[in-house]
Amino acid sequence: MRFSALLRKELRESLPWMLLAAIVFLAIGGFLLRQAQLGGWYDWSERYFSSRPTYGLQYRHSPLQPIGPVLLLTSLGLGLVLGVRHFWIPYFTRTWPFLIHRSVDRKTIFWAKLAAAIIAFLISLGAVWAAFYSYSCDPERFTMLPIKRVFIEGWLFVLLGLIVYLGTALTGLSKARWYTTKIFGLAFATVIICATIFEWRIGWAFAAIIIGAVILLSPIIDTISNREF
Amino acid sequence: MNLKNISKYVESSSKVIMTIIVFLFAVHILQIITVELSSEIYRMLTKTKRDLSAAEPTKQLSDAEKRLWRIHLSGKNFLPNGTIHLTSSKGRTPSRFDETEKIQIHDANDVLIWQGIKSENPYEYLTWSDQRFRPYTMYHQHFTDRRMNELQMITPEFSRVLEIPVGAQDGTVQVWRYLPGSDLFMGYRLDGSIIGFLGSTGLAHSKSEARPFGRFKLQSSWFPAGASEPTVLWQTSRRLYEINFQKQQVQLVFESPQANIKAVMLRECRPIDTQMQKEQKIKYRPTIRIGTEIKKQLLIMRNPEQKLTITFPDDRWSGALNFAATGEGVFLIHHDTEIRVPEAYLKSPELYQQWVSKHEGKPYKQWVELYKVDNQANFHLLNRYEWTVPREFGPKIRRKSFRLQVQRGAMAFSSPLYDLAWLLFGPVFFIQHSQGNDFVSGLISEIRPTNSLWCCLLSIAMVGIAFLHGWPRRTSWGKLIFWLAFTLVFNLAGLLTYLALNHTTVIKCPVCGRRRGLIQVNCVRCGAELPIPERRKTDLIFNT
Repeated sequence: MRFSALLRKELRESLPWMLLAAIVFLAIGGFLLRQAQLGGWYDWSERYFSSRPTYGLQYRHSPLQPIGPVLLLTSLGLGLVLGVRHFWIPYFTRTWPFLIHRSVDRKTIFWAKLAAAIIAFLISLGAVWAAFYSYSCDPERFTMLPIKRVFIEGWLFVLLGLIVYLGTALTGLSKARWYTTKIFGLAFATVIICATIFEWRIGWAFAAIIIGAVILLSPIIDTISNREF
Repeated sequence: MNLKNISKYVESSSKVIMTIIVFLFAVHILQIITVELSSEIYRMLTKTKRDLSAAEPTKQLSDAEKRLWRIHLSGKNFLPNGTIHLTSSKGRTPSRFDETEKIQIHDANDVLIWQGIKSENPYEYLTWSDQRFRPYTMYHQHFTDRRMNELQMITPEFSRVLEIPVGAQDGTVQVWRYLPGSDLFMGYRLDGSIIGFLGSTGLAHSKSEARPFGRFKLQSSWFPAGASEPTVLWQTSRRLYEINFQKQQVQLVFESPQANIKAVMLRECRPIDTQMQKEQKIKYRPTIRIGTEIKKQLLIMRNPEQKLTITFPDDRWSGALNFAATGEGVFLIHHDTEIRVPEAYLKSPELYQQWVSKHEGKPYKQWVELYKVDNQANFHLLNRYEWTVPREFGPKIRRKSFRLQVQRGAMAFSSPLYDLAWLLFGPVFFIQHSQGNDFVSGLISEIRPTNSLWCCLLSIAMVGIAFLHGWPRRTSWGKLIFWLAFTLVFNLAGLLTYLALNHTTVIKCPVCGRRRGLIQVNCVRCGAELPIPERRKTDLIFNT
């Protein structure tokens, strides 16, 4: 009950950013996908078979290709904004003491914030991404359908947003100075993003994200449990 | 050990891992910046000097030297009857690209037999298939496993897929898409409906029925005689398949049960311009050349069908030869020299340096041999030509460039662990993996401290700094020793990690007067406790 009350509070605070991310992703992504559909550049049959006997391999991008950078940037941005909203703004508004003096464990407060962030990512980016993927899977709209791997890669981008959220949380909670170890949470998140984007094995990319999340979660939990606010 | 202790250990190790990873990247970025910036400054400073030296007159060669240079630089071309011609280009006037290229042709005795415009050359020589028949070099015209990895890289624009479009007989179009996870091809029609799955056993209507090809290595297209649609040559670690997507057929061309296939090369497999084909007197046969790890090579030829398994008299032959299968027979060209590069030069740079020092600045002999290969794969020497390579073209010790020196200096700050990994796995492992787009292998190859002595000295210096810092702040011997060992292993990044996670304020001990940390209650030198602050009037809580 206490957890759900905290979760509702965090969701209420995250709602404007959730909506903003969902609208931005839906609007830009939808426009780009529609352009790809209308533009016809993707109709390779006309392009490659009109000048027979041209023959060659096609290293084709998915029709969802233009949406990729939008999804990645929106996800990273949402992670950053939610991290700031959940862990930094309470310093400025001096609401940390009110929060931690509730009759709940400090870890429960953190889990409620994390759960709110996960829900925000699932709704504002995950659901829209799934909708885009299912839209592009219709043979009547696109000549060739995207493969499942692209769908998984989209979810990897969503998870990278959560990594940025955790990095921002650790940076926000750290008592160290900016020019020392305070920035390490975000720096480590950047390393994980690079390691994922330059990887070609999906399994390794997931492993990098999971290991990164565990490495970030552990000091966050320790810090939130022990530090003075 | 209770849960709280476990979580404390996990938290501490997580912090250490996170910090060391960040510092390893930060140090690497700093190393790159140092190398690039210093070489750019050096380049700017030395530009004027270089311009002046370029204006100086170059050394004049004597007639005998000019002749040696010309012979060495000329093309050694063979006629099908074994006669050798030395072809040298006369060159164009600088910046006159519209001039026709003129050549001179000399015979084996260096007598000029023809000169004129290159395109009017009356002789037709044997031409050889691709020279790049080496295990670690890239194929420019084929699609390799490295390119496949590049396609699958998770970039912000997502990965790409390999597709083979095929025009079907009834005018419709099919697309065969490669599924890397299951090593199969999946066929689509234009309306999105699925044709089936192509695997090593041929067409199957479901994914579960299809048998995978195996780990992909190389792909190239292949035109069978008289066919307008190409089939695809698909190489895995130990097998070579011919796939005809139009007929939806898969044929196993070659299988090497005992050893991996090292390289596959094609000759005359692509369609030739018919006009050009008419003008050619030498008719080449389509050929696939396959090399395996057990030093045997297989030639698969068409027109007529023929297979030859070739074993070489010397293992090192396989790297310096080429085949040409024509209507008149199968020819083999072999280049060799009296000074061969040591075979283990990749593993031992010292051995390579010794070899270079021994032969630097000395002329040496080089030769080329033409063999005819009979149907039993025996070699018959047709001709051999030997010449002296001028000393200017001999091996040279690479002078340490400024950039290289800076690079070696900067990389001395890298972790000695990279060198250890290099020694354990070997250079071949890292070269292969980095060519296969493995990010970590590429990074280790690039930033490993090749100058181990400097790296060791720097690591020891870092340990010294860590010791000086840690001695007054120590809380336990185990912790101090761990951090010293950690710094030794990770060099500069290790020291920075140690400082980031262990820096505390020190005070002067009121008893012994030496520095002591504030984490430990007792002074590490004299054992005295921390001083109790004096009571002041404003203190609200007093000891009773």
